Amino acid sequence: MADIAGVNGQREHFRVVGKPNLPGKLSYALATGIGKFGADFVVPNMLHAKFLRSPYANARVLSVDTTKARAIPGVADIVTWEDEDIKKLGATPFGFGPRRAWLDNIADQENAEVAVIVVAENEDICDEALRQLDVEWEVLSHIVDILKGRDPDYPVIRPPEFDEFPPGMFDPKPDPDHPKRGNVSYATVVQGDIEAGFAEANQIIEYDLKLPAFASHIPNPPGSVAWWFDDPYNGEGKSLHIEGAVQRKDAIGGMYGMPPEKTVQEGLFQGGKYCDWGMRKSQEITPLLAKRTGRPVKCVNTREQTYDFLMNERYMHLKVGIKNNGLITAIDDFSIADGGVQGSSSFGTANDQGYGPYYTLKCLNIRQSMDIVDSNRGKMYLSGQHCPFNWDAGTMAIYLIAEKLGKDPIDIAKLNLHGPTSQTDMNPVPSFEACLDEGKKLMNWNWHPSKAKKLPDGRMHGMSFRYQICPRHAFSGYDCKLELRRGIVHMPTQGPCTGIFAVECNAMVVAEELGLQYEDISIDFDYKETFTPVGGGSDGTTASSWAMKECANILKQKILEAAIEEAENPPPPSMFGGFGAPQGPNPFKGLKPEDLDLADGKVVVKADPAKGLPIAQATQKNIFATYSGRPPAAIWSLGMGKMLDTMNTAFCEVAVDMDTGVVEILRFGVVADPGKVIRPTSLESQIDQVMYFSQGCQLLEEYVFDERTGVRLTANMIEYRKPTIMDIPPVDRRFLETRSGNAAYGASGISHSLANTHMVIIAIHNAIGVWVDPPATPDKVLKALGKA
Amino acid sequence: MISEENVKSTGVTPHEVSVPFTQESARMRAAEAIENIVATLTQFRCPICGRTFGNYVDLKFHYISDHPDAILPVTVNLNINEKACQVLIEPHWTLHRALQYRLGLTGCKLMCDRGACGSCTVIMDGRSVLSCTILAVECEGKSIQTIEGIAANPKWKPLIDAYCRWDAMQCGYCTPGFLVSAKAILDKNPDPTEEEIREALAGNICICGTYPRHSTAILEAALKMSEGG
Ligand code: FES
Ligand code: FES
Repeated sequence: MADIAGVNGQREHFRVVGKPNLPGKLSYALATGIGKFGADFVVPNMLHAKFLRSPYANARVLSVDTTKARAIPGVADIVTWEDEDIKKLGATPFGFGPRRAWLDNIADQENAEVAVIVVAENEDICDEALRQLDVEWEVLSHIVDILKGRDPDYPVIRPPEFDEFPPGMFDPKPDPDHPKRGNVSYATVVQGDIEAGFAEANQIIEYDLKLPAFASHIPNPPGSVAWWFDDPYNGEGKSLHIEGAVQRKDAIGGMYGMPPEKTVQEGLFQGGKYCDWGMRKSQEITPLLAKRTGRPVKCVNTREQTYDFLMNERYMHLKVGIKNNGLITAIDDFSIADGGVQGSSSFGTANDQGYGPYYTLKCLNIRQSMDIVDSNRGKMYLSGQHCPFNWDAGTMAIYLIAEKLGKDPIDIAKLNLHGPTSQTDMNPVPSFEACLDEGKKLMNWNWHPSKAKKLPDGRMHGMSFRYQICPRHAFSGYDCKLELRRGIVHMPTQGPCTGIFAVECNAMVVAEELGLQYEDISIDFDYKETFTPVGGGSDGTTASSWAMKECANILKQKILEAAIEEAENPPPPSMFGGFGAPQGPNPFKGLKPEDLDLADGKVVVKADPAKGLPIAQATQKNIFATYSGRPPAAIWSLGMGKMLDTMNTAFCEVAVDMDTGVVEILRFGVVADPGKVIRPTSLESQIDQVMYFSQGCQLLEEYVFDERTGVRLTANMIEYRKPTIMDIPPVDRRFLETRSGNAAYGASGISHSLANTHMVIIAIHNAIGVWVDPPATPDKVLKALGKA
Repeated sequence: MISEENVKSTGVTPHEVSVPFTQESARMRAAEAIENIVATLTQFRCPICGRTFGNYVDLKFHYISDHPDAILPVTVNLNINEKACQVLIEPHWTLHRALQYRLGLTGCKLMCDRGACGSCTVIMDGRSVLSCTILAVECEGKSIQTIEGIAANPKWKPLIDAYCRWDAMQCGYCTPGFLVSAKAILDKNPDPTEEEIREALAGNICICGTYPRHSTAILEAALKMSEGG
């Protein structure tokens, strides 16, 4: 819903919002290296901790003898899963699946933390102590190939107690009519009458696609440092200081019975978390170890230990019924999905069925069924990249229909997309139409069927197109506070700095509403403050600006009231010399607050803006404003695709060398409707990022497992290839501002809706006429061409 | 227990956090970090048991009597950001580890830990090197520049400014590594082309995908610097 519920949502003139090149408030700290991430903390007298990590993909620790390890000089503590302290630990939020002991003797992937933690004077002694443990392992069958694991005769890999799901938003929702069998759980969602839909169809298209697994790849290896200290200002008992768990310090404090006011965290830098919100054990355990040893303890994962999934792999088979004009009448979507290790997010599996690309279509007959296979491949912690990826099954359907009918996929998309209000609404979606018009111009769009265009250099040319609704899961509320203090507007916030400049967007909105410049707003970072602009992806973050806009207007009203009050009853002069006492007659005398406005850092008379006083002179009061709330629910969260407002489109052009199999992305094009652009510089960068994510998973990144041992062979940054500056293609972007989002001024988050797994793959098909599963490396392209 | 390590404090106080990180305050903090590097060791801490000694010889005897099988730490003389210092390290330590654990410098980041990402880049005797793959003992007598040294030098203000104006960072973890590489290019070639910049940054990985921003920022900074800052 466009921002019509809030104050000034329909503002037409912007001085601050939309301005480029405003440095982030923490950018200098980051650029100069003084900003500390969890792994950077080194404190005096600090100990180090490491987990025993499993060399096996699936195993149980039967017993551990720690005697030799304990005898090593420099070992300070060893804790095992049988220790009472460990048994008492609960988990922080964002756990999935059945509750499980915080640490147990079961290792369900290679490198899993299992059974033992050692604490020592340095990391090398930790390593030596781990080597000196006498561990008796029971090695169990494992699954890293989910197609094999799906076989009903394959040994069951997961203990039965891990199948008891408590009710919860993020937990998998197994089909009650189709109980688990072997390693496979089942989930089915049906809408409409699938058989009738196929009966209505003139033609049927069937196709397979593989959604690739790829890494969440947090740049800063996750880890923490914790210590306990006396803090007489906050009651009896020790307080906890933890660094390296930005955004989750209260949850971790809660694990140890600590209230928020006794849990300290000063670090502001969360690092890159691409919707991978799950805390790692290295971030949760240090308070316990610090308590036991009486010294600060640090525990950090290595890069190899940080290869969790952003997306689990999935094999899909699609059957789509169409009319002769390309209108879809039925969709039958069957997937075999990696369920990952115990506790993996169901966003990669069953939860995707609730969002789906299909609900943007007029087609009402849809069946989505899924076999979810337990595996020992790895864990997906949360991921917000889920929705866009499942989307590509629909993108591919549109492309295949176009190919089959010799039509432009854009026309097929237009034919099938429903209107703004429901699946039966036949009206066009204005944002979508606007994106398409602009996109065609941007790309000089001139569709050709597959294998039809050769470039002057002899390579084959391919193109593809994709759309998506801008997802917004802004379910959370925001607690905003602003303060006018000595003429300066302060915006206190706990941050954090997540990389999307969300705090800065809020400061820009405050400046806009208060007639100030961005630089005038003092952003006060303090972990004790309640305001955080984080609320569910870039979209929830954008929504925070709506709440802050309301807060700014409350502050504005209070400033204007105070200006009138002080005009009528001037405060006595301060014996210390007022810092801003009005000089001469007060221009607001006899007026009412509604006669005043804020502009250029002053309180001014609306009827004659030349008459005014700098804010600091208009009122000497300290004024607070607070607002707790959230914008009206986004269309996306109300309709899950069945209602449409802000949309975005993406395009790709590739060149494929038929002799070498090398694919070059000539360019990506993005025409997106973020509703209203708040901070263009970071918006552009977010779009680039998501296109490079898409490039990486389609051309470069690959998990390779040794099937015999279940070991991940590519868990390092040499073999698991991310795009570099030499790899990336140009990303041409255009932004539309239809003002139809629900955040401030009709803004909407967009970024990960553009992430995709098949836009490049489709363009490759359009170039060479054959399918290549991602990543489309030269050898796979040549193989698909029958040349290798 | 007293620690003789050249460690930084546990972080900023809440009061400090409220201070905006302006260009000048960040520059001063970087300069302070260099200032805090201890030039001459006066305490020698046993990395195995934490006991401290007043000189290296005593530490050596302690090893002979208490840890006869362990490898003795060594001292190495480095010149970090033009500050000569003596550092007690273990022979297998990387330069990155020495910078972080002994010298209290936080700008050199560890992303891949095997020479693939460039986050730990420093300039050694004029050349960019990866501090995660170089042993600290190999750096004896070498002149090493870290991001703190670049940040503290007003000459490079246009470069830092341009990075901040162009958001050549998202999460910011890789950023110091890129900036060190950028400085190394500008040292050699004050007027680089976009292609030359791309080639020079080819060893730096940004997971957040800020790549195009770097060349924009570096080109702007080069122009500003050629005009005298
Ligand atoms: S951490 Fe040194 S190159 Fe990646
Ligand atoms: S800014 Fe996050 S890794 Fe580069």
